[in-house]
Amino acid sequence: MAEFITTYGFLIVSMVFAAMLALSLYLPLMTGQLSLASPGFYALGGYIAAVMSTKVFPPTPQGEIFPLVYLLIEMLVAAVASALLAVLIGIPALRLRGIYLALATIAFVEVVRVLSLNLEITGKAIGIFGIPQPFLNKFEYMWIAAPMLILSTWFVYRLERSRVGRAFAALREDELAATAMGVNPTYNKVLSFTMGAVLAGVVGAVSAHFLNTWNARQGTFDAAILYLAFVIIGGSRTYLGPVLGGLLLTALPEVLRALAGVEFLPAFVAQFLVDGRLIIYGLLIALATIFFPQGLITPTMLKRLARRGT
Amino acid sequence: MQTILKIDRLTRAFGGLVAVDQVSFEVQEGEIFGLIGPNGAGKTTLFNLITGLTPPTSGKQFFLGEDLTAARPHIIATKGIARTFQNIRLFGNLSALENVMVAQHVHTRSGVLSGVLGTPTARREQQQSRDYAMELLRLVHLDDRAEAQARNFSYGDQRRLEIARALALRPKLLLLDEPGAGMNSNEKAGLSQFIRDIRAQFNLTVVLIEHHVPLVMGLCDRIAVLNFGQLIALGVPSAVQNDPAVVEAYLGE
Amino acid sequence: MQFTLFFQQLVNGLAIGSVYAIFALGYTLIFSILGIINFAHGAVFTLGAYFTYTLIGAKFGFNGLLAQSQLPFGLPFPLAVLGGAALAGLVGVIIERLAFRPLRARGADPLLTLVSSLGVAVALVNFIQYLVGAEAYSYPSSAFGGLPPSVNFGTPESPLIVRTVQIIIFVVSMLILVVLTYLINSTRTGKALRAVAEDATTSSLLGINTDRLIWITFFLSGFVGGIAGTLVGLSVTITGPYFGIAFGLKGLAVIVLGGLGSIPGAVLGGLVIGVAESLVPASAIGYKEAVAFAILFVILLVRPQGLLGRTLIQKV
Repeated sequence: MAEFITTYGFLIVSMVFAAMLALSLYLPLMTGQLSLASPGFYALGGYIAAVMSTKVFPPTPQGEIFPLVYLLIEMLVAAVASALLAVLIGIPALRLRGIYLALATIAFVEVVRVLSLNLEITGKAIGIFGIPQPFLNKFEYMWIAAPMLILSTWFVYRLERSRVGRAFAALREDELAATAMGVNPTYNKVLSFTMGAVLAGVVGAVSAHFLNTWNARQGTFDAAILYLAFVIIGGSRTYLGPVLGGLLLTALPEVLRALAGVEFLPAFVAQFLVDGRLIIYGLLIALATIFFPQGLITPTMLKRLARRGT
Repeated sequence: MQTILKIDRLTRAFGGLVAVDQVSFEVQEGEIFGLIGPNGAGKTTLFNLITGLTPPTSGKQFFLGEDLTAARPHIIATKGIARTFQNIRLFGNLSALENVMVAQHVHTRSGVLSGVLGTPTARREQQQSRDYAMELLRLVHLDDRAEAQARNFSYGDQRRLEIARALALRPKLLLLDEPGAGMNSNEKAGLSQFIRDIRAQFNLTVVLIEHHVPLVMGLCDRIAVLNFGQLIALGVPSAVQNDPAVVEAYLGE
Repeated sequence: MQFTLFFQQLVNGLAIGSVYAIFALGYTLIFSILGIINFAHGAVFTLGAYFTYTLIGAKFGFNGLLAQSQLPFGLPFPLAVLGGAALAGLVGVIIERLAFRPLRARGADPLLTLVSSLGVAVALVNFIQYLVGAEAYSYPSSAFGGLPPSVNFGTPESPLIVRTVQIIIFVVSMLILVVLTYLINSTRTGKALRAVAEDATTSSLLGINTDRLIWITFFLSGFVGGIAGTLVGLSVTITGPYFGIAFGLKGLAVIVLGGLGSIPGAVLGGLVIGVAESLVPASAIGYKEAVAFAILFVILLVRPQGLLGRTLIQKV
């Protein structure tokens, strides 16, 4: 067990973060908006935590761990900052639809990235390193990551069944009909966009500690597309889809690497599983869209399972 | 009787095409008001103008004396104007029940937090909203399929579900865009009675677009006739029926 | 003095802008006919550069499956460029067959196609790395034949230096623009393409073979992308398997600025962004990379249909 944790602790926490980042993209999608802004807010949250823990809070004495309460304060600040920025950007940008909105949010992510490469406070190209550790090892981040994932998944699950969630779903289904039924499109879209931004920002704050260093490579366009892949492949019509997609796709390259260790595999196959695992990863993403166009989890599937359960 | 809707020289042009051209009329409270005219006469565009989905090029509209000309669609809905769509626009992936519950949005309060946490108030509101939606589904005989997805419904069921959804908004004015499309004459007779019933039960004023002339003549208190975007006749059915301009619009060429 | 400096920047801007333009043309061709963005285009661009490198008979580095190997022959550079482009076009066709057609046949959500093309891009980029490693490759300096590496159009005191590569890039991209415009406006296939772009269902009812036209489009897109890859490789070296990705992102800004689906728009957008970037003062050079995206953000808010795009009216 101890060996498993040293080997896979980092991976498991990364999977949990990925699941939440996928949820952060799923939230605006609940109102039908394809926003790829999450990495921008993730980067912002990370920088806030990195700056506060290295420059604002008193240095942690040698041999002691970073106080958890500081981490919680950072998460709170990251949440508030992300929310403010999201409202500021959301109100003008959410008039756009489909691919145009996606491109505008990509532009936002890139602008954040270039800013962080140039600003003194974000450490320019080098970034911020030596971010103090609130836990003894990487796996212990589960103390905070796991409750966050459970809470955010539960939140979205409950949201989908509430009045506001129904208004979101109506906007996603048919914006025009929804507005004719009294749903305020701007308000609800900005709301869902902001909730996604807050989640991404808070995950960024924890992630900065987890990765120990934070730089401009954390919030990139590639990451945005990867989160989108989590959502689409997991299933974009239920809260469980993005969670599962984030967990599975993050684990996949490592699973492929581990598969290479299986004994009876011919040497060249084993070698390819290690060296070519990202080739397989890419192909699997492409194949998944073809064979699971609704994603791995669909609302119908969940309903069927629920019926069998009762 | 009080004027519920007043349209004053309402005009909408799409490029060079004037879809609605200086149309003025008033609808009285409690009326069933018919809107007829050949295809492309601008009837649906007029509905889109009244509900704010299309902004007018010029002209004004008043609802219960309030100027709603520049109001956004969800505000207009909140004021008490509900509609159905000619080419049915249900929320296909939502259940029939959810479709109807969405339209109670403006009459319910609970926000993100109270909804997620399931506070007693939010739970009570959810229950009331669900009960009322079930009541409306019973009214259109869809209560036994409340949990089924709207897109799996037959055409006729979808039309009725759309009416239930519109009623859930608790409107004062209900706009029905071709409610009888695709029905046989038996069903259309039933529809007439249904529209009269809901008018009485919900204190509605109804404006409806319909092609089937006997249905309109039998059902409506007054009728407005549009042709090429212009209002060419307005009055009680018998007067409109014999209006030479109307006869020419329908039989002309 | 100041004036020649400005001109120097302008020339640099036009050169890089024309690369953006031909890169974006590959996106635009596919967008105009299918209404989707092919995220694998950056990988095809990269492949084009590597194909050309292979065809001139150059040797690979120390990593990857093909380490230290080379073709037993070497083509002259111009032929290798065309060969590399043709192979890139072929890869484009294969991508269409594997990642796009199965989804199109099912009438799938365009989002799925986006993710699927992304999957292909990840696979391709890593395939390149698997074969030839992550190191940078550059074409031999003999590629230009006897041409000098640069020409000074100014005076020795106030130089206006234009690299030969820049001239080649500019000329080739304008040539591609002219040829593409001719193909689309004046040939039978081009007219059919426009018909499909207008309305795919009706066109197929009229007897136009949509599938054939779509693979032709992917071939053209890959071909043009392959040439662009080689030209950029010539200008700045092939920096590794991820070489095309940065352009992929900027290419998006270019096509939105020009107007999605508009060929002259892609070229204009490319030149505008290239010149705008080159005019960033040296003191703020770090922000150069943000110029394209700032322009993208503003244009989306002010004029989402782009400079030369058409307005779309939403039907109620």
